[in-house]
Amino acid sequence: MEDMRSRILSLRPPVFRGRLHDARTATSIGRWLGLAFAVCFVTGLISHFLQHPPGWLANELPSRPAWGYRLTQGLHVASGIAAIPLLPAKLWAVYPRLFDWPPVRSVLHALERLSIGLLVAGAAFELVTGLLNTAQWYPWPFSFVPVHYAVAWLVAGALVLHIAVKAPEIKAHWSRRSPGTLALSAEDAPDRRSLLAAVAAAVGAVTLTTVGQSFTPLKKLDLLAPRHPDHGPQGLPVNRTAAAAGVGRIPDESYRLVVDGPRPYTLTLAELRGLPQREVELPIACVEGWSKSAHWTGVRVTDLLERAGAPSHARVRVVSLQLRGGYRVSEMSHEQARDPLTLLALRLNGEELTPDHGYPARLIAPNRPGVLQTKWVGRLEVLS
Amino acid sequence: MKPRRAKVSVTRVLAGVAGLALMGVGASSLLDVPDLMDVLVWLGGALVLHDAFIAPLVLLAGLVLVRGGVRGPVRGALLVAGALTAVALPVLLRPGPRANSSVLPLDYPRNWLLTLLTVATVTALVLAAKGFSRHRRRPPS
Repeated sequence: MEDMRSRILSLRPPVFRGRLHDARTATSIGRWLGLAFAVCFVTGLISHFLQHPPGWLANELPSRPAWGYRLTQGLHVASGIAAIPLLPAKLWAVYPRLFDWPPVRSVLHALERLSIGLLVAGAAFELVTGLLNTAQWYPWPFSFVPVHYAVAWLVAGALVLHIAVKAPEIKAHWSRRSPGTLALSAEDAPDRRSLLAAVAAAVGAVTLTTVGQSFTPLKKLDLLAPRHPDHGPQGLPVNRTAAAAGVGRIPDESYRLVVDGPRPYTLTLAELRGLPQREVELPIACVEGWSKSAHWTGVRVTDLLERAGAPSHARVRVVSLQLRGGYRVSEMSHEQARDPLTLLALRLNGEELTPDHGYPARLIAPNRPGVLQTKWVGRLEVLS
Repeated sequence: MKPRRAKVSVTRVLAGVAGLALMGVGASSLLDVPDLMDVLVWLGGALVLHDAFIAPLVLLAGLVLVRGGVRGPVRGALLVAGALTAVALPVLLRPGPRANSSVLPLDYPRNWLLTLLTVATVTALVLAAKGFSRHRRRPPS
């Protein structure tokens, strides 16, 4: 008993002799980490609202720029990957603070430490779940999307609070000539520069070896990303195959497209092929971060809607013939539905669509997440 | 030592309140999640895994390296290699069948080794260039 008590009394925090666990190192790395998280949060919100718009936004989603979602979701995944070396580096710099003695000085101090705990837990959680999601690996028991979304708000809030609390320290160590930086030992500066250069190199390395999955000019360097722009049927990656969706190859003679509006009508595949065909270049941009541009040929959705007498301001629902899996139904704002680039595509890069790309007809529209580019389209519904 | 009573600016207070409000949005969305306990276990797990295992291991590695006089390019190389490995872990280790052949289509073990080899080569070149310039700066008398 005596022995135990003396042991507890002698419990002292570990001593850190490393010389770069200082506010200048933390500020330098923290700036980049903060930027990465800000980009990740904003682009994540854009993706969320494009997929789950609140009622007032559902008919106002813009169809331009056509490459919008490709850029924002590419940035979302790239900034998340860039944060993977930055977060541990930042935490390394401030790790001795975990052993502050006494652990709690006041109620305010306790709350601040609690918010830091939430920030670290949430930030690590977001990066781990996000990265595993891109590899379609789900070892957790909960559903990814709502949890990744909710924790993102928690992290964003805790980060803003953290910056507000630390603002004077951040300011004092912002540049090499800031007063706080000058108060630190000058002989550590070269070692700090070398460490910061290494962190920058790590960010560069993980970016270069993965960003080619969406930034196709760098596809040759795509070594570690879960997707490659050239791998997939017709040279385009796929998420849900025809087999997984339970549609297989839909026979030409049994296919019908139903357009439901004020003047509803039904088309056979031959009739659909007989309508004026347009060619557009549009990217498929997946929520998991990969994207690739392709040439699509098909019928303009706006022409199909005109023929059904759809009002120009109407939203449109697109229904797939798929039997299994989510995203069977998607909706378009009037701007997306009426955009001249929005096609019910029959051909991809000059060839007929393969079943995995949605044979015989799929939606392809600008500025839209890939999961909403509905495949095996059987029905267009004009919503009033 | 008593902390100095600094005047807290209005902007900082507003930013702090905004941060709390955003956290509130997150907390209330989390409450809508059906498996909240599982989420909390994973959140706490992330914190414990980092603070109690990963960080001490990295610090220990750093201590050993510094004792061995290793800083600069070699430390940088280890950092870059570690980051590449962390990013590659999911594609290297993911179990189970893939949804289709366009998911994880590359030879990841080979690519990962290739990136490590590149890091080693670049580091060797940097060290050689450093040695060369030091040699030239101090010519033998």
